[in-house]
Amino acid sequence: MDLFSHLALGFSTAASAANLSYCLLGVFLGTAIGVLPGLGPVATIAMLLPVTFGLPPETALIMLAGIFYGAQYGGSTTAILVNLPGESSSVVTALDGYQMARQGRAGTALATAAIASFFAGTVCTFLIALAAPPLSEVALKFGPADYFSLMVLGLVASIVLASGSLLHALGMIILGLLLGLIGTDVNSGLPRFSFDLPELSDGINFVVVAMGVFGLGEIIANLQTEKTRSVALARITGLMPSRDDLKRIIAPILRGTALGSSLGILPGGGAMLSSFAAYSLEKKTSKNSAQFGKGAIEGVAAPEAANNAGAQASFIPMLTLGIPSNPVMALMIGALIMHGIQPGPQVMVEQPALFWGLVVSMWIGNLFLLILNLPLIGLWVKMISVPYHFLYPAILVFCGIGVFSLSNTSFDVFMMAGFGVLGYVFRKLDCEPAPMMLGFILGPMMEEYLRRAMLMSKGNAMVLVTRPISATLLAVSAVALVVVLLPALRKKREEAFKD
Amino acid sequence: MKKLITAVALAVGLVAQAHAAYPDKAVTIIVPFPPGGSTDMVARAIAPKLQQSLGQPFVIDNRAGATGAIGATAVKNAAPDGYTFMVASIGVFAVNPFIQKKLQYDPVKDLDPITVAVRAPNVLVASPGFPANTVAELVALLKKTPEKITFATSGAGSSDHLTAALFWQKTGTTGVHVPYKGGAPAITDLLAGHADVSFQNINAVIAHIKAGKLKVLAVTGDKRSPLLPQVPTLGEAGVPDVNVFSWQGIAAPKGLPAEVKQKLHAAIVAALNDPENRKRMEDIGFEIVANTPEQMAQFQAQELARWKQVIEVGKIALD
Repeated sequence: MDLFSHLALGFSTAASAANLSYCLLGVFLGTAIGVLPGLGPVATIAMLLPVTFGLPPETALIMLAGIFYGAQYGGSTTAILVNLPGESSSVVTALDGYQMARQGRAGTALATAAIASFFAGTVCTFLIALAAPPLSEVALKFGPADYFSLMVLGLVASIVLASGSLLHALGMIILGLLLGLIGTDVNSGLPRFSFDLPELSDGINFVVVAMGVFGLGEIIANLQTEKTRSVALARITGLMPSRDDLKRIIAPILRGTALGSSLGILPGGGAMLSSFAAYSLEKKTSKNSAQFGKGAIEGVAAPEAANNAGAQASFIPMLTLGIPSNPVMALMIGALIMHGIQPGPQVMVEQPALFWGLVVSMWIGNLFLLILNLPLIGLWVKMISVPYHFLYPAILVFCGIGVFSLSNTSFDVFMMAGFGVLGYVFRKLDCEPAPMMLGFILGPMMEEYLRRAMLMSKGNAMVLVTRPISATLLAVSAVALVVVLLPALRKKREEAFKD
Repeated sequence: MKKLITAVALAVGLVAQAHAAYPDKAVTIIVPFPPGGSTDMVARAIAPKLQQSLGQPFVIDNRAGATGAIGATAVKNAAPDGYTFMVASIGVFAVNPFIQKKLQYDPVKDLDPITVAVRAPNVLVASPGFPANTVAELVALLKKTPEKITFATSGAGSSDHLTAALFWQKTGTTGVHVPYKGGAPAITDLLAGHADVSFQNINAVIAHIKAGKLKVLAVTGDKRSPLLPQVPTLGEAGVPDVNVFSWQGIAAPKGLPAEVKQKLHAAIVAALNDPENRKRMEDIGFEIVANTPEQMAQFQAQELARWKQVIEVGKIALD
């Protein structure tokens, strides 16, 4: 069969000594930069790009890809240990992962994340090997109207992210949407809310907001309650998930993988939604839903699986169509072009060794990550028992470096400090920042897609319901909205009666 | 005594520094765009060669934002000593002044041109299911139903948007402008048939053209592209005066000392003409230009005049 001969070719490419060692180097580097808050794969890959010129293209790509998915692994480590999500996808991991860490279950949370990611990565590798070209054709069916409706669904789901008051969650989502308005309007090219500051003309970077609101806000709050924190961290229970834990995470991992791989193939921002969607789905369907936000292991397993599946699946449009779905993929395309390979549909045909070698190397890389990360868990867990007066200045410095590296400007660092204060205020007001982050991510995309759909339909809003994909997504959103709001409203009534 | 020795040593050091040949420390290349794009690629191709020939590290500093204005402003504010220069695109050198009201740099007064590095024609592509197969058919369609034909561009005021505007002006037509955030999502919608036509950089679409996933109607250069020898130029297809190239130029802060400029220029031209670089660039559709500072200044003046007119006639000015 074709598949086996292709996989055999892939293995023979990926398992060469040079490619194996570059793959290991890639995932190691990726883990390292992922663990450092704020430092992302984009800056690292950009710096290493010239180094790869001397390598054969498949080796270069294998290493760069390793950095990318290695960073996804590493990113969840800081999200769990110190509530610092460096990537949009790890925002939800932080919700329950950090709570688990506070309960002394950091090791379990990290192991769960690693296992979930490995499983999702394995499934997704096979998915790419089996069906990359037809999947990319499906992805192209999504037009602007369909993306808009997908974002609407995402926004509805974001209400579920909050575990507290519904009103607060709605308020935070709207605040996120407003923050997302800052920057240049795509249609007219006019700057909005930029106060003539060129630094604001491209909007606020996600990492700046996340580092500030989550990381810095957490630090300020911790400094206020230093004593309780050390007590909470004193008892660290087993590092590995128990048999009972494993039983609880199997279904969430499967669902997360399915969601992540289906959303991940959409080049217009699907991968970003996958971890949010997986978390919301689990929270609504799990029988432990009351625990979500307070350290539910399902709340780590599902989004981590979805996040890794989404990351791997985003290679599908890149490899089969030459379409980048995120800045890292854009860099990979740049790397391919510099090696004289035009990314596009014919890469699979003209460069089979490159294509299949990369696919197989992604599986090998995931295995490396699992082997690399499981023994490291003990070390990471020890790291958070470092006295806080040593730990927090280090975190601050790394956040500063990471945010500076985004676009090499100190403006971003000051902005992060501002968001840190805001994060502390949110905490005092009992407003959870996760729904705000989702509003912030989705708002600009939603607007862009809606306005593009309207331009193309000459202002006819009916396209949103006449296109089958869009109509289905809107219908699902309507149902989801009812499901989300009903219990909350009922609870409100009950509370009202109690008083 | 010790102090005296220190002072003497310091003084000797200073004198030595003043006489040291350029460059005696690391040089920063500012790229006013994110890593991975065409401009970044040019910078990353020449940096290692410059490092070899001039013996100092050449560090790339991506200062993205405000369609290149942030990076260009940083160059303006840097000392004109040869330790900072910039690789930037047509937009930074010839378009931004007309579309950004609060621009903090002047591409002529604040920058010292060194050389045009590379240029590449744009290509007029259409989605595979689009009815028109030639430029003439497209023009006929645009005259009949301009409100139905969407032009995908990589943003309001981008060079492909301006090329479309120039095309409309020269053919007396118009179409629906649909801006995207960059070229990649625009190409995605073209491949899928959600958008109809677009002017795109040749290296961004060549793979799709060769795979038959995009139709190509014309190239915008004054001669056919070696990558697409069978495709006519717009002039050959009956639309004269739309010779558009997307180009990358290199410039330093105004007031670069003559000897530094000469040395830097020679090294950059050699790096661009390096056989390995040349092949790499040509394979992806770039043409090496590597001309003199005077030629770049003259070319930049022409481009400024042309785009100013296109923007005024097309009422594109953003604010």
